[in-house]
Amino acid sequence: MRAAKEGRAVPNMYCDVTTGVRGGWRRATHHKSHASHDPTHPTHPTHPTHPTHPSMSSTMPSISPSAPAKTRPEVIQSLIDGVDRYNPDNVSILEEYLTAQCQNEDYDLMANLAILKLYQFNPHLTTDQVIFNILVKSLTAIPEPDFNLCLYLLTEQMVADEPIQKLTLLQQLLEEARYKNFWETYDSDELYKELTSEVRGFTSAIRKVIANVVNMTYQTISSDLLRSYLHLEGDAYKSLLASYGWSDADGVVTIPINKHNEAKTVVIRENIKFEQLTKVIGYSNEL
Amino acid sequence: MYQDTFEEEDLAAEIELVTSDSYHAEDPLDEEYVDDGTSHPLTSIQQQVLLQQQQYATAGAQIPDGVKNFIGHFHRHILDNNVYELHSVYENSFNKLTEKYFPKSTWPEPEYIAPLVSDGGCLSSPSFPCLFYQVFLTLYRELYYRHIYSRLTPTIEHRFHSYENYCDLFNYILNSEGPVTLELPNQWLWDIIDEFIYQFQSFCNYRNRLKNKSDEEIALLRDNPQIWSCYSVLNVLYSLIQKSRITEQLLVSKHGGDMQEAAGEYGSRPLYKMLGYFSIVGLLRVHCLLGDYTLALKMMDNIELNKKALFARVTACHVTTFYYVGFAYMMMRRYADAIKAFSHILVFIQRTKQYHTRSYQYDQIAKKGDQMYALLAVCIALCPTRLDETIHTHLREKYGEQLSKMQKGEEGIPTFEDLFLYACPKFILPNGPNFEDPNAANLNSEPHIHHSKIFLNDVRHQITIPTLRSFLKLYTTMGIDKLAAFLELEPEELRTQLLVLKQKSRQTRWSSGTLLEGEYVPTSDLDFCLKQVRQMVFLSQQYY
Repeated sequence: MRAAKEGRAVPNMYCDVTTGVRGGWRRATHHKSHASHDPTHPTHPTHPTHPTHPSMSSTMPSISPSAPAKTRPEVIQSLIDGVDRYNPDNVSILEEYLTAQCQNEDYDLMANLAILKLYQFNPHLTTDQVIFNILVKSLTAIPEPDFNLCLYLLTEQMVADEPIQKLTLLQQLLEEARYKNFWETYDSDELYKELTSEVRGFTSAIRKVIANVVNMTYQTISSDLLRSYLHLEGDAYKSLLASYGWSDADGVVTIPINKHNEAKTVVIRENIKFEQLTKVIGYSNEL
Repeated sequence: MYQDTFEEEDLAAEIELVTSDSYHAEDPLDEEYVDDGTSHPLTSIQQQVLLQQQQYATAGAQIPDGVKNFIGHFHRHILDNNVYELHSVYENSFNKLTEKYFPKSTWPEPEYIAPLVSDGGCLSSPSFPCLFYQVFLTLYRELYYRHIYSRLTPTIEHRFHSYENYCDLFNYILNSEGPVTLELPNQWLWDIIDEFIYQFQSFCNYRNRLKNKSDEEIALLRDNPQIWSCYSVLNVLYSLIQKSRITEQLLVSKHGGDMQEAAGEYGSRPLYKMLGYFSIVGLLRVHCLLGDYTLALKMMDNIELNKKALFARVTACHVTTFYYVGFAYMMMRRYADAIKAFSHILVFIQRTKQYHTRSYQYDQIAKKGDQMYALLAVCIALCPTRLDETIHTHLREKYGEQLSKMQKGEEGIPTFEDLFLYACPKFILPNGPNFEDPNAANLNSEPHIHHSKIFLNDVRHQITIPTLRSFLKLYTTMGIDKLAAFLELEPEELRTQLLVLKQKSRQTRWSSGTLLEGEYVPTSDLDFCLKQVRQMVFLSQQYY
C-alpha cells in the first residue's frame, strides 16, 4: 500500500501559546480557621489558642512543604506554563535550574517534572545524573508524593536499574518510618553517597523530614529514641534540638504542642440556617 | 473528619442541563429525500446527478435506501448549518442505521457515497462551494472510521488513512483563511476530540506490540514516525486552545466578565469555542495517559469543577473530566479529593440514568461508572471516609468482598492490583519501540504494568494501617507495651507503624483555587499522639 503522503501534516503549533495563568505549585502554609458559619459545610473545629513557643513557627520544620513558586524565576515560569516546555532545546535551561536548586537547597517540583517529560519524549536527551538528582531532591519532600510522580514519568527499564532501585529503597524506608534502617542503609554503601553527592544539604533535609513526622506524632519522646531517628550525637544533636525549640531534660525531649500532635476529641456540629429550610417547609405546606 | 455535604445546587443545575436537552426528533429514516426544488436552486443539476447515481448504484456497492436517505438529509443539514437537525441525525439515525445494516461490516466507502451528493464536479455556483463537499466527505469519513474502530478491528491502512483524515479536518478548521462557517452539534465536537485521542491511544498500544506483525507492517511503522506522533496530537490540541482563545475567555468569565470580550475572531464562533474547550479536557486525558498527573490537573486551571460548566452539556465529556481528575488525584495520593470527585460524578450518573438509557453512549458511561466504583473502593480502603448513602450501598454491593480483603494487610495486595488494572486508563508510551532491535522493545511495552507497580509499592507502605486503626478505635488511652502485646508486635515496630499512621492520616486537600492547590489537613476521623514519658498513646476521635 502506498506510504503516507508527505503533504499531510498536522497544523503547526503556534508559538507563544501561554495559558495566561500563573500556575505553580503553591501550598497554603497556614491553617485557615473557618470562623464563618458556612451553612453547607459543617463548622471546622476551631483550635483554642496555644501558648506559642517563641521559636516554634520560625525554625520548626514547616508542617506543609515550602512553596517554591516564590523563588521560581520568570523564565522558568513562562517555560513551564506554555508550549515551550515541549521544545527539546530548552532542556538545558531547566537542567541548569536544577543544578541551582541542588546548590541552594531549593526545590521546585514542576520544573523538575518538566525535565523528566522532555526526557520521556526525547530519550536521546537523557542524562542519568540529572534523573538521580531529581529523585534525591524529591526524597527531601516526603511526605509529598513527589518521588512517585517522578517515577511515573520514567520507563520501566530505567526504574529497574540499580541506582534507581537503591533510591527506591531509601524512599521505602522513609515512607515506612524505619529511620534507623534508613541511616544504616545509607552508611552501608558508598553508592548512596555518590548518588546524593550533588545535592547539597541532603542529610539535613532528611533530618527535617524525620523531625517533621516526630513533631506531628510525639508530645514527649525519649532522647535515645530521637537520637537514633536523627542519627545525631553530642553537640550536633543539641544544636538541632535548640533550633527546633525542643527541650531535653532527664533523657526526655518535650515537643511543644502544635495542631498535629495534640489529640483532642472534637465534636463537629453542623449549623443549618432557617432560610435553608424554607424550601422544604414550603413543599410540606403544599401537601 | 467531616464530609462535605453535597453541593446540591450545582448537581441540580447539571441534571437540569441533561434533562432539558433531550431531543425528540422525528425519525427522518423513512422520509424519502425528495428534492422539492424550493430550498435547492440547483434543481436541474440535481436531477442529472440523480440519473448518474442510478448508474453508480448498479455499478458499485448496493447502498440501501435508508442509507441513501440518511446521506441526503445529512448533507443538506450540513449545508444549511442546521445544528438541531444535525444533532438528531447524528445521534439517532446514524446509530439506528448502523444497527440495522452494518452491525458487522463497514459503512459504504466514501467513494460510493460521493456521487449521492450533488456538487461532485464543481458544477455548482459559487454560493455552494466545493469546499463543503470536501468537508462533508471528511466528516463522513470520520464517522466511517469511528465505526470501524468501535465494531471491527482497524488494519494499519485504516489507521493511517484515519489519521490523514483528521489532519484534513483540523487543517480545514485551523488553517483556512479566517474562521470557517461550519457548525456542528456539541456532542459531535466532543466525539471528534474524544475519538481522535482514542485512536491515538489505540495506535500507540498497537505500535508497541511488535510480536505478531508482518515485516511489511513493521516497515510501514518504522518509515512513518510522524503518523500519530505524540507531538502532532499535542500540536492539534494546543492549537485549538490557542486559536479559540478559550483560556482567556474562561479567565474573563471566572472574574465575572463577558466571554465574548476575550473571544477574538475565532473564539466567538461556537465551533471553535467548544473545540477549544473540549481540547482542554482532551489534554487532561492525554497527560494522564502519559503519566504526568500534575500537568494534567494544571490544564484544568481555569475550569471550575463545581459550577454549571460547559462540560456538563455533553454527558460523556462530563464523566470523562471527573474520571481523569479523580484518577490524577488518586495517583498524587490526594485520596480525599479523589473520593470527592468520584462520588460527585457517580451520584450524577445515578440520578440521570433514566435519561441516558436511550442513548448509544449509555454503555460507555456505564463502563466508566463501573471503573470509578473500583477506584473509589481503592481510595476508600486507603483513606476511609464517609460517603453518600446511595454510593456507599452500591459500593458495598459491588465491591464489598474486595473492600474487606484490602484491609487484610499483605494478602490484600492482589485485590488492589486487580482493581487498579481494571479501572486504570490505557497508558501509553510517547515514543515507538526501537525498530532496530525488536528484543529490546519488549521490556518497555507495557506501561500500565509500570504504573501499577509503582502504585502498589506505595500501597505496601501503608499496608499495616487498617489493623492498627481498628484497634486504636477501641480506646482513648493505651499503653504502648499493652497495645504491642495485643497486636503481637514488638514495641519498636509498633512505634514505627504509629509514625506511618500519623503520616498517612494527613493529606493535601483542595479547599479553594486551582485543582493543584490545597491545604495539608487531617483526613482521618481518628487522631492520636504519643507521650513517651509514660509510654502512652492518647487517642481522639471526631464525632458528629
